[in-house]
Amino acid sequence: MTDSGSFSWAPTRRGFGAGMGALAATLLGPQIASAQGAQSANLAMVGEPQSLDPMASTADLVSIIMQHVYEPLFTFDANGAVQPMLAAEMPKIAADGKLYTIELRKGVKLHNGRDLDAEDVVASLKRWVEMTPRGKALSKSIASIAAKGPSTVEIALNDLQPALLAHLALPSGYAGIMAKESIANPLVEFVGTGPYKFRERKPDQFVVLTKFDGYVSRSEPANGYAGKKEAKIAELRFIPAPNANTRVEGVVAGQYHFADQLPVEANKKLASSSAAKAVLTMPYGFPYFPTNTKQGPMADLKVRQAFQMALDEEEILLAGFGDPKFFALAPSHFPKGSPFNSDAGAERYSKADAAGAKKLLVEAKYDGAPIRILNSKQYDFHHRMALVMAEQLKAAGFTVTLDVVDWATLVQRRGDPALWDVYITHSAFFPEPMLSPPQLGDGAPGWWKTPAKDAALAAFNGEPDPAKRGPLWAKVQQVVYDEVPYIRAGNFGSLAGVSSKMKGYTPMPFPAFWNVELN
Amino acid sequence: MWLTLGRRIGGLIIVMLLVATMVFFLTRLAPGDPAALMLGDQATPEDVARLRAVYGLDKPLLVQFGLWLKEVASGNLGQSIFLQRPVTQALAERAEPTFFLTLFSVSIAALIGIPAGVASAVWRGRAVDQIVSGLAMLAANVPSFWLGLILIQLFAVRLGWFPVAGYGDPGAPLADRLGHLILPASVLGLVNSALITRFTRASMLDVLNEDYVRTARSKGVSEARVVLRHAFGNALIPIITVVGLTAALLVGGAIVTETVFGLPGVGNLVVSAVLRRDYPVIQGALIVVAAVYVLINLAIDVIYTLVDPRVRT
Repeated sequence: MTDSGSFSWAPTRRGFGAGMGALAATLLGPQIASAQGAQSANLAMVGEPQSLDPMASTADLVSIIMQHVYEPLFTFDANGAVQPMLAAEMPKIAADGKLYTIELRKGVKLHNGRDLDAEDVVASLKRWVEMTPRGKALSKSIASIAAKGPSTVEIALNDLQPALLAHLALPSGYAGIMAKESIANPLVEFVGTGPYKFRERKPDQFVVLTKFDGYVSRSEPANGYAGKKEAKIAELRFIPAPNANTRVEGVVAGQYHFADQLPVEANKKLASSSAAKAVLTMPYGFPYFPTNTKQGPMADLKVRQAFQMALDEEEILLAGFGDPKFFALAPSHFPKGSPFNSDAGAERYSKADAAGAKKLLVEAKYDGAPIRILNSKQYDFHHRMALVMAEQLKAAGFTVTLDVVDWATLVQRRGDPALWDVYITHSAFFPEPMLSPPQLGDGAPGWWKTPAKDAALAAFNGEPDPAKRGPLWAKVQQVVYDEVPYIRAGNFGSLAGVSSKMKGYTPMPFPAFWNVELN
Repeated sequence: MWLTLGRRIGGLIIVMLLVATMVFFLTRLAPGDPAALMLGDQATPEDVARLRAVYGLDKPLLVQFGLWLKEVASGNLGQSIFLQRPVTQALAERAEPTFFLTLFSVSIAALIGIPAGVASAVWRGRAVDQIVSGLAMLAANVPSFWLGLILIQLFAVRLGWFPVAGYGDPGAPLADRLGHLILPASVLGLVNSALITRFTRASMLDVLNEDYVRTARSKGVSEARVVLRHAFGNALIPIITVVGLTAALLVGGAIVTETVFGLPGVGNLVVSAVLRRDYPVIQGALIVVAAVYVLINLAIDVIYTLVDPRVRT
């Protein structure tokens, strides 16, 4: 398709449009003509990116856009396994597990025309460690990051970090590699190695990326975020369209080639449209409900266990997502096929046992203190889940209050243990356990810290052998079910609308548009 | 007239100071922390504290207020926390769609509302009056988002005459950008025409009962001349007021319509800033909008003096 992205209100159909278009063409014909001809994709996203610096924000939207510009050393394939991207191959890890030697692919071009070298990688990774929450969390474990020759990088660790490569591969708070001369705070030049380069940003209108002709791809077949990448569309336009209905109508009308995160109600409309089709990414994420283990009624383990026992996750997910097509019950935190798939603790999942919960509350001498469910209507499904949760808890003998606030208030209040007992949130689905939720680390809202947690996580995080990490994760999952620092409700999918002109799009939690073409 | 103008400008400064004070403190009363929002789930309290310090949010509130006032007085509205650019630049980027949306909406509203109101008054109690009053009632009560969705469905999705949303492709010429405003301006024009219709009708009815109108008719002046020259000219003051106030309100952002049509206007900017607690943007945008509002009111007063010599005295 030529100029597929250029929706001109100039005239394609019917008389009125033709008349108005003729007027516009008379006034500004040359400009309109010159705007046509290039192949562009209009991609309607949920909002305006907070930043274009992938290390300055952990927002998914920033990563979705900038993963086309910056590439990491390692990335995930479709099964969630870590694969090399800018690294030539998987790193050589010393016998004690504390030294990673990474060879870079040779001949990789930066967007400024220079060859990528180890100094770029070192400068980028040091910035990542200094700036991103995940990098900072690892900083105590990282003894040094150094170039050992033009295409070799060494990362020396103070202690074992089996999830290091997964951290480097994660698109959120992205360890993207930048040209060292472009590094600044804030970033003003966006010079990476990706198949697209940055061209222009107009806040609340678009971010435009254009094909990087000098891109040097891997040769392996495309697989998830890994393997061969080819920019088949000349220009990607990421357009903020915060109103979900606008995204639906835009993709049905042909103005957008892709519309992200559509409401489940749009499924029917897309199914009956010839211009676009529905695409489901499953699992996309998981809703979870952290409990306040520090203060208030939920600080009592038995009350938390009663909370867990009272919940019927199927009802909650149905309230949140409306149609079983868009969610899945998931007693195991990781799906079949993942090395971390386990049934440990699954017998405690979705018991919907109000009588059992009541008994536990009696044993806990629960005094009827209200359980404050902090939630936000800014995410509709959060609030709908909270409503059903509240009813289930009331049926089990809890006193419940719903604290409905905007998201900004929730983010602030969840940091104060005096202000909540449970809150509703969600996370993207990541293939490595230590990437989410943050309650598995220290200091996250909920303040879960017990000897059982520390022991299980110390064993898990101290094991570099991937084959042994699976069973050790099962023990962590068991502790989560036993101590209820959070309840993971299940998995949910994300519905997107994809133009029938767009070919080769593969649904992934962070939608990517390399290897995608427009007919 | 000059004395009145001078007094008004003096009042404007006081109003702006009051607005600045209220905007600053009301913004800070709302819970929420831009630093925590920006850093996300994985941020530690230390990260949040560091970012708060970068933006001066760790200073006592009065100190922050003093520093901000000083900056505003020198024409600097500050730096957006989320957009990472000066607030003045963020506002300037959104000025064009907001200006043209306001201009088109008010023009459509006036072009519909004034003739409809005049006709309704002239043929009071007759079929025309009843139809116009009924339609005005309908327009006043139709939610703008609903009307927007209906127009999108009809004219953008089914007929394909207009784009669904946005403000033009990168590098699009002005005509293309303005084309994106036809549907949203029609929504706002229709909704706001109701008020103008009703004010025009009421004002015309008052004037049509005046002695000088009766005198004109008894002198044999044609009905068209009576209505358009003698009556309409004297009914203009309330009509100018309501048209001016409609424009002033739209400059502040037709938030719902901007959201439905994905327009990068001032209303969208303010709503996003509120949700993100981007204090500099909220404060800067509200100050500018308040100033424009006050200036439009000033302009209305000046227009009064031009259309009605009695106001000058």
